[in-house]
Formats: sequence, structure tokens, C-alpha cells
Amino acid sequence: MDNQKFDSELCPSDRRAAGLYVHIPFCEAKCRYCGFYSEPIKNHAPQRLVSAIIRELGQYDHIEAFQTVYIGGGSPSCLPAEQLLRLIREITSHWPKPEEFTIEVNPGQVNKSILSRLRTAGVTRISIGAQSFNSDELNFLGRRHSVGDIGRAVEMARRAGFENIGLDLIFAIPPSTSLPSTMLGTGRASDSTLDSWKYSLRSAIDLDVQHISAYALTYEEGTPLQKAVEAGEVAPVDEEIDRQMYETTIDELEKAGFKQYEISNFARPGFECKHNLNYWRNLPYIGVGPAAGSYWNGKRTLNIADVKKYIDAIEQETTVTDESETPDNTQIACETAVLNLRRRCGIILDEFENQTGFDAMKLFTEPIGRYRELGLIEATDGRLFLTRDALPIADSVLCDFSTT
Amino acid sequence: MSTELIRNFSIIAHIDHGKSTLADRIMEITGLVSDREAKDQLLDDMDIERERGITIKASAVTMNYEHAGKTYMLNLIDTPGHVDFHYEVSRALTACEGALLVVDATQGVQAQTVANAYLATEAGAEIIGVINKVDLPSAQPEITAEEIEHVLGIRKQDCFHISAKSGLGVRELLDAVVTLLPPPPDDGDKPTAALVFDSECDDYRGVICYVRVFSGELKVKQKIRFMGVGRTHLITELGKFTPKMSPVDRLSAGEVGYVIANVRKLSDVTIGDTITDDANPTEKPLPGYVPPMQMVFSDFYPGNNTDYPNLRLAFDKLALNDASFSFIPQNSPALGFGFRCGFLGLLHMEIVQERLERENNIEVVQTAPTVSYEVLTTDGKTTKIDSPADLPDVSTIEELREPFVRLEIITTTDTIGGIMQLSESRRCKLIKTDYLSQNRVMMEYKAPLAEIVYDFYDLLKGISHGYATMDYEFTGFEVGDLVKINILVNKIPVDALSLIVHRSVAENRGRKMLVRLRKAIPRHQFEIPLQVAIGGKIIARESIKPFRKDVTAKLYGGDVTRKMKVLKRQREGKKRMKNIGAVQIPQDAFMSILDSSD
Repeated sequence: MDNQKFDSELCPSDRRAAGLYVHIPFCEAKCRYCGFYSEPIKNHAPQRLVSAIIRELGQYDHIEAFQTVYIGGGSPSCLPAEQLLRLIREITSHWPKPEEFTIEVNPGQVNKSILSRLRTAGVTRISIGAQSFNSDELNFLGRRHSVGDIGRAVEMARRAGFENIGLDLIFAIPPSTSLPSTMLGTGRASDSTLDSWKYSLRSAIDLDVQHISAYALTYEEGTPLQKAVEAGEVAPVDEEIDRQMYETTIDELEKAGFKQYEISNFARPGFECKHNLNYWRNLPYIGVGPAAGSYWNGKRTLNIADVKKYIDAIEQETTVTDESETPDNTQIACETAVLNLRRRCGIILDEFENQTGFDAMKLFTEPIGRYRELGLIEATDGRLFLTRDALPIADSVLCDFSTT
Repeated sequence: MSTELIRNFSIIAHIDHGKSTLADRIMEITGLVSDREAKDQLLDDMDIERERGITIKASAVTMNYEHAGKTYMLNLIDTPGHVDFHYEVSRALTACEGALLVVDATQGVQAQTVANAYLATEAGAEIIGVINKVDLPSAQPEITAEEIEHVLGIRKQDCFHISAKSGLGVRELLDAVVTLLPPPPDDGDKPTAALVFDSECDDYRGVICYVRVFSGELKVKQKIRFMGVGRTHLITELGKFTPKMSPVDRLSAGEVGYVIANVRKLSDVTIGDTITDDANPTEKPLPGYVPPMQMVFSDFYPGNNTDYPNLRLAFDKLALNDASFSFIPQNSPALGFGFRCGFLGLLHMEIVQERLERENNIEVVQTAPTVSYEVLTTDGKTTKIDSPADLPDVSTIEELREPFVRLEIITTTDTIGGIMQLSESRRCKLIKTDYLSQNRVMMEYKAPLAEIVYDFYDLLKGISHGYATMDYEFTGFEVGDLVKINILVNKIPVDALSLIVHRSVAENRGRKMLVRLRKAIPRHQFEIPLQVAIGGKIIARESIKPFRKDVTAKLYGGDVTRKMKVLKRQREGKKRMKNIGAVQIPQDAFMSILDSSD
């Protein structure tokens, strides 16, 4: 996929968007670590939200096509089946079939029937929030599903006809009290944490999925987990272990035939998430639903992060935009560079220049020179990319591309 | 006026023993100032002097005093209260025939009491012992008198017991000034010779010289010559301080006053210089003139709220009022633009820093003080260097000499052990121990100045619970086993961090620097070796481990704006740093490595 070119017919243009993102801000219950906007579904009437989202979609009638569609959350799978299907049918009936149609699901919230109906309705890709194959870790994170639910969800999705299944995993979870007997380490906390992660990775590989996202646990501002850390109740995993886990992830997944195509994303060849790839190409996209972001007509906007206010705004036909920013050309080039460099293929220099009008080698001469010398960046074959050594410390490198 | 009716005298004392209060009282008694004005302690011009309880610059006031039916002219010459200004003190004392040595009855003889007494004796001034604060409940005038007799050889029964605050005994003391101190010699017929014992710069009138006329006279419109600097000027104004400036037509032999002669810059006048008549000069200048000698050096860099041009302006302004410090521009790749400043001593340095900050409202960052060294090179030349960076190549050095001082410490007997330990660890050699009284002792050391300029005084105060006092006087340069240590950051030597130290402490000092550096330099993307080297040999090393994980796990469409902000902040943090090769060091952190205050 390194040099895969996106159909330039589609983008950029005010008639065609790279992607459509739909944010479903509902969850059965909020996970301890989650920093995304979501609310318990029991406090709301889902059909009202779906109606509002459908009305917001109506504002984009003039767009001819979306290359990809992605329904995320929250937990889209906690919506009642008929509401979710109503939303999907609305999209598929208005726009041509996208190249990729993803929906995020929670392992505990799906059954054979809903998966079959999603597949029939046009969904092509399932992203399962597995997070861990260690039940203590699932508990620690505040997840509501069991380890067993993960395998069952994958199996059901496959039987429902999905050939593109992804799992999300989280590593660097502070050590839990006990580990499944299948993972025997030396008994030291660091080993057991690392062993637990290796076990989760192995389990994910064994499920024979096409895509794995592996995220280091982050302590987002305002989350219960972050407060627990501040209160000294939780000790984040040691930086060195965190790094080892990350390195292990890259090694193990590559051994198993996955290719790392972004800092946290791995796929079997041809199964990279096209929707996300377009984010890292910094292409325009539309986001609908509360708290959803858009990058459209040169503007980055964020919708109101409040279900009630969002619905009110839609119903009263006022704007749902809460924040808006119009980056200038240099800023766009910087954003594009930072996003591109998260990909293993890095910045494709021709493409970058076509897209931003800047020669990346000139715009970033200083950091490029410095980091090439340090062996953190390489420039070959018309590409500029982070070396393997740079990946675990990518922010410290990328920050030098965030401004000129 | 015959010199018979003139008395020139100084008050000398340890800090806070009551010098300024006594001066106020004397001026009040002689009717020079009212009680209210006295509160302002007129002899001290600068805020900072009052706050620190010391006097930076000498001043002089002229008073009339009736005694036994005659009116005497008393000239009270103020002296700086610290031996950093040893030279200025000695010049001021040279301008006097006598000195009142004031000792606080609750404190006893202190290090500066002794140092000042020595200076007065050297200047040939008659000393009158004065025991102050005798009305305080904790006063021990008898013990104090014994100490004065023991250390200074002034008979205890000859000491005056006073309270400068209440005025008790001050009239009797003034009578003694008239009866016990000699009048100046009557040399009005000889060619003009006047000693410049102080100077200051006035925004409107230029430089004002404080003078004591030893022979001949000074007249308005006279063409005078400053013998030391070899410049001639025309006197535009002469006067006395009463305490305000009161112009007169002439100053005769034995008198004290001021001279204004179209001198623009303070640096055009040197203290200790002799003024003579250009047409009829005296044969020889007055003895004792020495150009100011800077012994302690430190770099000053602009702090948070200022920049280099502002710092330069502030220094220029300060130099108008203080001719004894020097500043030369300095550009260090690590620290940016600043100044290398030379001072008479430690206290002088502190005062300059405070004045910079207070009078100009700017912050400065100051590096640890170093001393001046003498280098004898193989070509037989002797040069002074005040920065380790200026040290010539080791192979060309014949001898490296460091300044030594005579150090006097006065302390309580129970702290002798601790002080001896400290002194020994600082290469100080005990010359003698002298018991002032049953529980107080004076210790005299021969000490390398470099060892006491750094943190010695603070440690001394700590060991003695604040009781010990110290003073020192430069005695000469001596050969030492000195080495230059270099600090290497990521294998690159950092000039601004190099030090000249005695071989015996090189490793220890180097290690301390490394520990500070390790704390100050943030982690990088690679391991940073820190090394201390003498010549080519590494004597200590440390390393800063790289960070191992620093990456945003998720970055998708909606996160871009927020994450870009985070990255920009991270980048901004780096921008404020100084580069040493590939290593970025925050400037303020760099300063903390060098800053003497922590």
C-alpha cells in the first residue's frame, strides 16, 4: 500500500469527499480510560439522535460520493438494531456504494442476526473493540465484555460474511493481580505485564483477523483512570516496559504476516483501513453527529459535544459547529507532514508537493538534517519516513514538523 | 583658619554595630540636622545601603563644634563597611587623623572590627575605642572592653561607653575627638596636594570628587592636575557637605570637601589620586595610590524580563557610580550574550547584582564566581587571566598562580571544631588562634581566595549558627597545583562550564557539576554522555538516558487540531533551548548549573 494513490478524481473537491464519519456518542457504560465524548444510552432516546444525524447528513446532499464511510463512537453497536440500520440505509440510499464501510462494535453487543443485517445493508468492515485477552485487564479498563465474547464476535462476523475484520487492542495496561495460567513468566511485574500483552497479541493473531490496531494506554485528561493515577491509586507502566511492548507488537505482528502501516496500525496486505489512511493523507472528510470533526472546504470544525444541545441545534436548524479553524497554507503543510509521517511510508514527496504546494525537503530542511544524522528519519525513493528507531519516540520528532 | 581648630575623623565598625546611628547623633548634636532628618541617616545615599546596614561609598560632612570656648571644624569621613572596599576604606582613613572604632557591646569584637582597626593603624590614624549600645539589657561592656584591649591593644579604661541611639556619652566622645585626636599638619605654604578619597557621579554636574587637602589650597577657577591619570581640569565649584552641598571659594590645607571640575566620567578619576596645581605642582604625589584590583569574577546574563541591550544600559549606568567594577561583553555559544564582570570581592559582587536588579528593575542570571589567576608562560611572560577559557595551552604554562588571602574568623569556642574541618577541606592553613575572651576566639588563616569565594561564608554561618564573622585581605599570588577541568556534553567541551581548580578537589567539583547537569538537561532521543576531563583524561562520567517512549497512540481526523497544538507546545519548549551539538539545554536550566545561589 506504500505508494497506493488515492483516486484524484475524488479529491480534493467540494463535490466529492474522501470520507464520511458518523459519531454515535452512546455507550452502555463509559470505560475508565475513554476520553471520547459519549453518554450512557439509557438517558437518551436513540431514535431522536439518529433522526438528527440523518438531518445533518441532509446538509451534504450536494456531495456526490464518499470514498469511505466509518461509523464509530462511543459504541454504535449499543444502538437498537433498527436505528442503526435506519442510519446505514439512509447513507447507502443517498450515496454510491463506498469502497469501504466500517462500523465499530463491542464484542458483547453483537449477535449473528445484527451482524448479518449489517453485512446485507452494505457494511464491509467490522472493527471490534477487543482491547485485551486478559479478563483482569478488561476489568481494570472498565470494559463490559468477556474474553470469550471477543472470539465469538469474530466468528459470528465471519459467518455473517465479513472478510475484513479488525481488532483494537490496548497495551501498557498497569499489571493486574493474576494472569491466565497459559502465560507463565518469571513472576516479576514487568515480565507478567509483558507476558500478558504477548498473550493478547497471540490470541488476536490466532483469531485470524485482517487488521489489528494496537494502542498504548493513554491517560486522557478528566477520565476516571487519569484521576486514579493522580491520586496515586494506579501506577502507569514503566516507560521501558511500554517500549518493549511496542517493539514486541511490531515484531510479533510482522512475523505473523501483518504489515505495520501506521504507528499503531497493522494489516494483512490489502486490508489497511482506507478511511483512516485518508486522515493521514490529510484529505477532506465530513463528520456528522455530536462531537464529530470535519475537514471540509479548508476548515476544520468540531460539532457540539453534547447530545441534547446537538439535537436541539438540528431541530432548531441552527449550526451544530462548536469550534472552527481555517489553517493557512503553511499550517496545512505542517499538518499534512505530521499526519503523513505517522505512516510507515511517510511523506511521498511528489504527492506532498501536489497537495500542499511545498517541497517538504525544503520546508523542513533543519529537522530533516538533524534527524537524518540521528538515524531517526530516512529519505529515499522519493519518500521521507521515520525509521523504526523513531517510532516509539515519534512525537519528539514530529513536533519539529508541527511548525516551520 | 588655623589647622589647629580642624579635626578629621572616621567612624569604623563591623556591620550593624551602630556606625550610621552614631553619625546621625553627632550631626544632631552639632546642629547640622534635625532629629527627623537624622532618621534618614543622611550619610547613606542609597536605599540598598540602608537595607543591608552597610555603606557602599564614603561621604564626608563638615560640622562646627564648640569646646572650651573655641569653635572647631569637624570633618566626619564615612567609610564603606566591608573590607571588599579595603582600598577605599584605607584611602578614607588616610584622609583622617583619627578614627572612632565602634564595637557593639552585645556582640563584641567581630572580624571587620579587627580588619578596620588594622587599616586605621596602617593609615596612621589615631584610634579611639567606642563601646556602643551599652544601655541594652544584653550589653556586656566590660567583656567587650577586654576584647578590645586584648585584640587591638586599646586600654579598656580608655574606651568610651555610649548609646548612639539615645545619645548617651556622645558629647563626651565629641570632646575627646577635639582633645585626643591631633589636628592636621599646617602645610598651607607648600604646593597643593589633595587626596581624592571618593567620587560620585551626578547627572547634572558630572563627577564630584571628595578630597582632603594636605598642603597648599584649592581655589575655584584653578587649573588642577590629577597626577595619577595625568589629566588637567579647571575647578568650577568647591564646597563642603553640611550635609547639603555648600559651595566655598577655597579649601585650605587640612580641610575636607568636594571638587567639581568638568570631569564627565567616573572612570576618569581614580580613588587615591593626588590633585595638584598644574602651574605649581607638588614634587611627589601622596603615597598609597593603587589602581582598583578586581579579584572576583562572574558572568552576568540577561534574566527573564530583560535582554542584552538593556543589561548593557544598566551596567553603563551603574559604572557611573562605581568605578571599581569592570564589565566586558562576553558571548558564549551555550549561554548567549552577557558580560564578564570583575569585582573587588564577594560582597561587592552581591551589591552590584542587587543594584542592577533594584535600580533598573531587571533580572540577571549570574554564574558562580571565580578568581583571577596569574600565568607564567614558558616565554617568561606573566599574564593575569580571569576566565578559565583564557588559559593558554598547558604545554606553554610554566606556573599557574592563585590569589591568597589572610582570612580572619571570629567565632564562639564551641564551633572551632566545625570551622577547622571546613577550613581544612578548603586548603586553608591555620596561622594562629587567639582567644578574645573565655568563649570567643579569633582564628587567622592563610587561604586560597578561590576556596572562599564560592560558598564558604554560607557554610561558615551554618556551622556557627550565624555567630561567626569573617573578613579577608588579599596577600599575594602563589603557585598552586591547579588544573583546568573541562565538562563535555555529548563529547563536546563546553567552555562556559570549564573551571580552574586545585587538583585535590578537581574530581569532586567535576562530579558535582555532572550531577547538576544531569538534572538540568532534559532527556533526549539519544543517550547523552556527560564527562569531566583534565587535559585529555576523563576523570568522571555520567549519562542522561534517552526517553524510550513518546508517541501519541491515536491520531485520527477529529484529533488533528488538538494534537497539533500539543506538538507545537512540545516544539516551543525546545525552541527556548540552547544547542550544544545535537544536545538542547534549556537556558534557565543551564544557568541553574552555574548559578551560585543554589
